[in-house]
Amino acid sequence: MSDARQQILDRIRRATSGGSVTEHPDLPRNYIRHGSLDKSGRLNLMVERLQEYDADVVECAPDDLPACMADRLHSSGKNRFVVPPGLPAEWLASGFDWKLDRGLTHAEIEACDGVVTASFAGVADSGTIVLHHSASEGRRVLTLLPDWHLCILRTSQIVETLPEYFDLCPLPPTLATYISGPSATADIEMTRIKGVHGPRFLHVILVRDDA
Amino acid sequence: MMQVDLDPRTALPFPQAALPILRNTQLRKNVAHATDVIQAKRARLVAEKTDWQALRNAAAAIKDDVLGHLDRYLVEFEARCTAAGGHVHWASDAAEARSIIVEILRTEKATEAIKIKTMTSAEIQLNPALEAAGIKAVETDLAELILQLGEDEPSHIVAPALHVNRSQVREIFARRMGRTDLTDDPQALTAAARSYLRRKFLSVDTAICGANFMVAETGAVTIVESEGNGRMCLTLPRTLIALAGIEKLVPIFRDLEVMLQVLARSATGERMNPYTSLWTGVTPGDGPQNFHVVLLDNGRSSILARHTERQTLRCIRCAACQNTCPVYRQTGGHAYGSVYGGPIGAILTPQLMHMDHAQSLPYASSLCAACYEVCPVKINIPEVLIELRAQVVDRERKQAARAFDLMYIGMRVANSIFASAWRFRLAQRLGRIGLRLFTKKDGWIHALPSLGARWTMTRDLRGLPDQTFRDWWASRPKDRV
Repeated sequence: MSDARQQILDRIRRATSGGSVTEHPDLPRNYIRHGSLDKSGRLNLMVERLQEYDADVVECAPDDLPACMADRLHSSGKNRFVVPPGLPAEWLASGFDWKLDRGLTHAEIEACDGVVTASFAGVADSGTIVLHHSASEGRRVLTLLPDWHLCILRTSQIVETLPEYFDLCPLPPTLATYISGPSATADIEMTRIKGVHGPRFLHVILVRDDA
Repeated sequence: MMQVDLDPRTALPFPQAALPILRNTQLRKNVAHATDVIQAKRARLVAEKTDWQALRNAAAAIKDDVLGHLDRYLVEFEARCTAAGGHVHWASDAAEARSIIVEILRTEKATEAIKIKTMTSAEIQLNPALEAAGIKAVETDLAELILQLGEDEPSHIVAPALHVNRSQVREIFARRMGRTDLTDDPQALTAAARSYLRRKFLSVDTAICGANFMVAETGAVTIVESEGNGRMCLTLPRTLIALAGIEKLVPIFRDLEVMLQVLARSATGERMNPYTSLWTGVTPGDGPQNFHVVLLDNGRSSILARHTERQTLRCIRCAACQNTCPVYRQTGGHAYGSVYGGPIGAILTPQLMHMDHAQSLPYASSLCAACYEVCPVKINIPEVLIELRAQVVDRERKQAARAFDLMYIGMRVANSIFASAWRFRLAQRLGRIGLRLFTKKDGWIHALPSLGARWTMTRDLRGLPDQTFRDWWASRPKDRV
């Protein structure tokens, strides 16, 4: 095995010796880094893109978040929700069966009707929700098995372009999931079908914390 | 179902393999429909991106940097991934990669493995090797599942079952899942796949995936997908094995800001694919606790050594070149006798075979360059095709049998004619007399004998004019310029 390693590296070194290739810092990066929209334009674009993906989007003021969440939960008709351990306790409205993820098994998570998490960032240009799987965003499996995902995104976390998200990460994440609309396939005659394996229903509450 | 052979060592040459497919109107209709839909979506989303060319330039430069310093980036990736709890293996060829993977699965006492679509695993023909070792591979991408159950082969890099239509899927699911209750509604068929695979996701402890990108700086691996089957395989099992070509690196995390933008738009015509997953080695309490990466050479380092051909390794497998290719759009992928069909397959496959096989593929192109125009990493495919054709000819010329090959005799004669003015004039005169025998009253040649028939089989040839340009030049009034 270590033989193969040495052989491959030797072959590569023979193949690439003598070639002068641009060093990484000098690469051309004259693509668009920063967006041109103002705060409300950015928010509108994020909402528009999310809705294109059939995500359900509502906005609320920071103080109204618990009430807004309770409303979304009630109208889902579901009862048992799993949440990551870092989610603020005051967000968890009474009247629901809350499962706090402290090492739940896959079967226990699968048995939940839905999941509620925070998020790391939103990218308006592509309607992408970024999870870095911190204590409030949950383990990866949490936002995967339940069929219904309610995601809380603060408007101050929304950037316009993908490069702007990378600017938010001076330290690259070790885990990340970028969600751009619910699970989908077009494998049968290019007909887009929603909900293959991931959550079929994506709900987003945009908290206007930078108004 | 036609017998499909995607092993370049045994597959028929492209023209022979294409013939039965060209007679299969259903398959051609399926391929044309699918490629039309993807192309239209891609065109719309590329058009809205005002910095598209800048992104392409950056993407090409990032991959060139990787290829120019591949040893350094591989060693860096290995160190980071290992430090994060992953195990890195190196495989010189397909056989080594297969035995590394089988060995890991044996150690895990695995009897089944769930798989995310990976063309690299098809390249090394992993599934038959797993089966021989008593391990059942379960494809979890909907298209791959359709192919696996239908005992068919992939025909497209991104949408491997695009040659199959809904009623064929219904028939396959009815036969193999026992689901005779299904209609041919794609929604119902997808739901059937969901429930069929759900049990597998929750019960199988080992998974195999490819890699869209590996980040040298951090040791992270990235998978882009749409369905969520990828996230299932990357999250639920105890053990995960990623099989990746050595060229799949990017130097730093930030490079993904370029690659993710160009990949989704080129591959599926989306601003971003529904799910992108990134993980680094092993994270305690989250996802697989045993993670292996198998770095595969299998001919790639020899491509790296060649100046014009090196750009082949920039490929990020978006399949935009397949969707736009006038040849692929007629034949689909199976005619190429390789898991990599279309323009990229026509240059990649013979090179992976060290030019010993698949020598007909560089000719499976009209050199129209539509592939170059859409390529997000700016691979000049026509340039590489021409270089590979030259290599094929150079090899053939050395073969003793070619001394009596009509085409090679013709080429040698042409070489001598074009080398001298009087021989050229003489040949023109003789040619005019000779071709007159075949020129019909309408001034066209409809049929030629022997080698010439290859031309007139599909098109007519205009007869030579009575006066050549040289004759006219010599006889023109001398007082005029």
